Amino acid sequence: MSRSINAVRDFVLKNSTIVLFVALFVFFGVVAPRFFSGKNITNIFSNASYIGIVGVGMTFVLLTGGIDLSVGSTMYVSAVVAGLVVNQLGLPIGLGLAACLLVGLVFGLINAFIITRLNVVPFIATLTTMLAGRGFGLMLTKSVAVNFPDSLTLLATVDVFGFFPIEVVIFLAVVFAAALYLRSTTGGRRIYAVGNDIEIAKKAGIRTTPVVASTYVICALCAALGGFISIAEMGRVNADFGKGEEFNAIAAAVLGGASLFGGIGTVFPGTLLGTVMIQMIQAGLVFSNVDVYKQEIVKALMIFLAVFIDSLRNSQLRKLGRRTIMRVSDSS
Amino acid sequence: MTLPPLAEWPRRAILSEYFVLILTVAYVLVLWPFIPWLLGQRNVGDILSNMWPLLAIAVGQTFVLVSAGIDLSQTSIMAVTSVIGAMIMTRGLDPVLFSKSPFWGIFLGEQGGPLAGSPAAVPVAILAMLLVGTIIGLGNGACVAFIRMPPFIVTLVSQLLFSAVAIFLTKSENIRHLPDEYLALGQGNLGIVPIAMIITVTLAVTAHVLMSRTAYGRRLYATGNNPVASRVSGVSTTRVIVSVYAISGFCAAIGSILYSARLEMGRPTLGSGQLLDIVGATVIGGVSLAGGKGKVTWTFFGVLFYVVLANTLNLLNLSFFTIDMVKGGVILFAALMDVMRTRAMAARN
Amino acid sequence: METSAIFEFRGISKRFFGIHALKDVSLVLRPGVVLGLVGENGAGKSTLMNIAGGVIPPDEGTMFLQGQLYRPLDPNEASRAGIGFIHQELNLFTNLSIAENIFLESFPRMRGLPFIDRRTLADTTRQLLASLNMDFSPSTKLEALAPGERQLVEIAKALSYESRIIIFDEPTTSLTAKERERLFSLIQRLRGEGKAIVYISHILGDVRALADEVAVLRDGELVANAPVADLRIDRMITLMIGRDFDNIFPAKTSRPGQKTILKVDALSQTGIARNISIEVHAGEVLGVFGLMGSGRTETARMIFGLDEYETGTITVGDSVLPARDPVAAIRGGMAFVTENRREEGLLMNVSISDNLGLVSLAEFSRRFGGIVDRKRLREAVGRIGAELRIKSGSYERLNAKSLSGGNQQKVVIGKWLMTRPRVLIMDEPTRGIDVGAKFEVYTIMNELASQGTGILFISSEVEELMGICDRIVVFSRGEIIRDFPRHEFSQERIMRSAFRQEDAAVLDA
Repeated sequence: MSRSINAVRDFVLKNSTIVLFVALFVFFGVVAPRFFSGKNITNIFSNASYIGIVGVGMTFVLLTGGIDLSVGSTMYVSAVVAGLVVNQLGLPIGLGLAACLLVGLVFGLINAFIITRLNVVPFIATLTTMLAGRGFGLMLTKSVAVNFPDSLTLLATVDVFGFFPIEVVIFLAVVFAAALYLRSTTGGRRIYAVGNDIEIAKKAGIRTTPVVASTYVICALCAALGGFISIAEMGRVNADFGKGEEFNAIAAAVLGGASLFGGIGTVFPGTLLGTVMIQMIQAGLVFSNVDVYKQEIVKALMIFLAVFIDSLRNSQLRKLGRRTIMRVSDSS
Repeated sequence: MTLPPLAEWPRRAILSEYFVLILTVAYVLVLWPFIPWLLGQRNVGDILSNMWPLLAIAVGQTFVLVSAGIDLSQTSIMAVTSVIGAMIMTRGLDPVLFSKSPFWGIFLGEQGGPLAGSPAAVPVAILAMLLVGTIIGLGNGACVAFIRMPPFIVTLVSQLLFSAVAIFLTKSENIRHLPDEYLALGQGNLGIVPIAMIITVTLAVTAHVLMSRTAYGRRLYATGNNPVASRVSGVSTTRVIVSVYAISGFCAAIGSILYSARLEMGRPTLGSGQLLDIVGATVIGGVSLAGGKGKVTWTFFGVLFYVVLANTLNLLNLSFFTIDMVKGGVILFAALMDVMRTRAMAARN
Repeated sequence: METSAIFEFRGISKRFFGIHALKDVSLVLRPGVVLGLVGENGAGKSTLMNIAGGVIPPDEGTMFLQGQLYRPLDPNEASRAGIGFIHQELNLFTNLSIAENIFLESFPRMRGLPFIDRRTLADTTRQLLASLNMDFSPSTKLEALAPGERQLVEIAKALSYESRIIIFDEPTTSLTAKERERLFSLIQRLRGEGKAIVYISHILGDVRALADEVAVLRDGELVANAPVADLRIDRMITLMIGRDFDNIFPAKTSRPGQKTILKVDALSQTGIARNISIEVHAGEVLGVFGLMGSGRTETARMIFGLDEYETGTITVGDSVLPARDPVAAIRGGMAFVTENRREEGLLMNVSISDNLGLVSLAEFSRRFGGIVDRKRLREAVGRIGAELRIKSGSYERLNAKSLSGGNQQKVVIGKWLMTRPRVLIMDEPTRGIDVGAKFEVYTIMNELASQGTGILFISSEVEELMGICDRIVVFSRGEIIRDFPRHEFSQERIMRSAFRQEDAAVLDA
């Protein structure tokens, strides 16, 4: 009897993402079947796009066992700089996007430097970048909101093939590129190796510093891109744009199966599903007229659940690693 | 990274326990010619009154850091306890603002909270605040000790959760009309000594004794230094870990009492943005993020430095975003110093 | 260098903390020859191979690979030079697939694109696995494989580098009988292909079955290097143990009492230990001998309560101890000096006096609030320090890190002695400390025994066990094989027990 309970538990721990997703699906299907209208689904994906992109970047960092709390500030500063380039300098939107990504690159390099060269723990390093970054952004804007020209917001309403909202296409493209990198390049596999056991990776001759650094750069770039997409829809950047988004990104990745302990996780289907799940829950709560304040509580509980499962899985893995001296089949 | 080797006297200064205090004094001396009112009575009073609540909370954080953990939920504990305490003792609530609150009609009404006007209001409210803070702390500690979740994620999630709860309970509104006896805690004096100072100093001294003179303190340092060896030596590391988070929650509640009394309201957003101040001040004082190292006196120096720094930045009329940047830089600097100090100590041996 | 040799060690020496791990070792490896490398724990086998494998550099001496000077800077260089080292602890990533583990640094690429050519990767891996008779899919994640199978992946990795020399370090410890057979036929095959093989193992029967030549190391020196036909097992054992006694032992003054102070009854934990029963009497020093990996430390940890066990009871005096509860064990009068003092025995960055007082803290903090009576503690710590002759400056200002190995060990012992234990478990207490300090530890053990403490003394050095103990039990593969009372002590017989070579018939195999 206890063996089948163990088997069930192991299955759930290993496939937590799919299990949660299906459970959620079933839940909504039963409680509010009208939730699954075509328009609703499109809206969910559309709203999920920008945070999904940030979540993909976060997945890279989590894979090496790190964390990046500065993505919210990265989103803000890169959006602000893009706004300045377009408004103040009158340059075309394309250059605005380029400037935006450049800011992301800089943030990523700063984080990478502090973590790999100055040996500061990732969460303190990115916590300070978060603070300093936001301060810098506020200094640039003097706390005033930055507006974007209509040409940009118009672009955001484009539907590819008349059907797919452009932000969804970009999101899926990012997921595809990231998944391809992680799965089919040496750099990507090295990320998994370093996340699994950094000491063995060093022994195998892998130069771990560039591997870890690259994850922070990619994460910041994704944050910048996600920020750009978000403001393209909203048309303006407020002083508290991006605040708290790091938790959404972490939640999307961890719900999608990425482990805080490193070495485990995927962007496809993982983070993709994780992002959609969070959006589904959000939309579902709105749909069911749950008030805004309770929604935040539910979101926090969801992240807790995801991390709880992750910790249980980690403990299980460690217990299985206990050395054996004698094989059960040996008799003398 | 290979940092250049230090000459002897800078190394000694950095390794000295009083480094931060020396730094603070030096800093003040350097700036004083430019802002002479820095040491004026009014400004000093300002500095000190900012110091007490922050110190109370940082004392709690010190315990957690020494255990090689971290508590990022202290600000949300401040918020939720501020709200809960205020709800119990408030003497009047505007229905326009509060009718949507979940407790409206049950505990809360136009005439205030359940104990509005009663002499028991303030003691009960305070007790409730301390209790809630400690219980949240116990929850954090249990997750870290028994489920082995990483401290920063557990407390980060707690932070999210309880901030949301605080806002939920009041629908983002501040609760006013708090009894005068309560306000006295944050604003009043006993003779010439501010009550806030008495509360904080008592807390700090007790904490100091606990850490440096009791068996519990030794076990705490052991756990933070080497949990495996501690366990072999009979230390119940789980008990130690759960307790430090409980203490941290308790201290956050005390800080909340002092802040709320000063602001004269229960604020669901209390403490927001102050997380880095708390952790930063403690780390600047010399408490190590890696665990096993730190004293309440060091935290005192760190908080003093931090409050003086913030005060001077204000006086210099810097924009608040520049202030944020400077603060971020200072904390990074503190974290770097932590790394360097550990290395300097290793080199000395 | 001999023309037929592919690798040569010439005059290799290595010291760790002043103690010779290897002394002037010269050895030759030949293609198509399996060299068995045997010796006691700490004889230098792994050290020698680690030098060849680029893990550590030699202090003196040189190596030659195919006639050329060979001086690898890191394990990578060694791999690329053609030396495959199958360590006891496998260097594989559990979250990657078999194929990825083998080709992590040398993925086949798609033409013109920077992407991994999965098909070629799978094909190449499949071929490699087929040559090892493994029919796993190349995309299987490593964590799904059993230890024996993971080992084959490590071997496959070595083969993928086209290694000409393959070193196996204690390869059969985690294998089933079937996996062992598979490994052996694989080794035979590799030998037939002209590879030079080094096989390190303490299972002497296996060594005799596989090897063409055998080299015996003792205390870092090569004491024999001959064709396997010339070295029967008892000869191997004799060569392994005979040594100059530079260990002197204090005269034994105590005699074991009647009362049983520690009773371990039928202790078992799947895969770790089976049916362990031990009785220690008051004033008795019970030795526990066994080869590395035989389960002694694991058993001690279970007795003390650090690890769980499935069945069995532990009794100290008259009370049964609850499982997995070190605090209860300590309260019941047990003490445990662990194997590695740096990780489990000491708080390195904490003062000597705080280390000494850690376990017995409760005794010195009975005052209100748990406040420590510093004066009383200081006196007690000073007394213990004097008794144990711990040589150091101020106990309160210096950290444990500042002490020498011997003094560190005394601090660990002292910490436990302050609780006045009834039973003291000591796991390799004289490892890594100098002769003088060893003598002092033996003296302490004698004194404790004469005061009525029961001591469980785990060690890998037969001589020191014979010098101090009243009885010796021998562990092998998680079981107690034999129990030797003092009048039956004999180095050869105890060693043979540990190697499971009891039968006279087996000795001539």
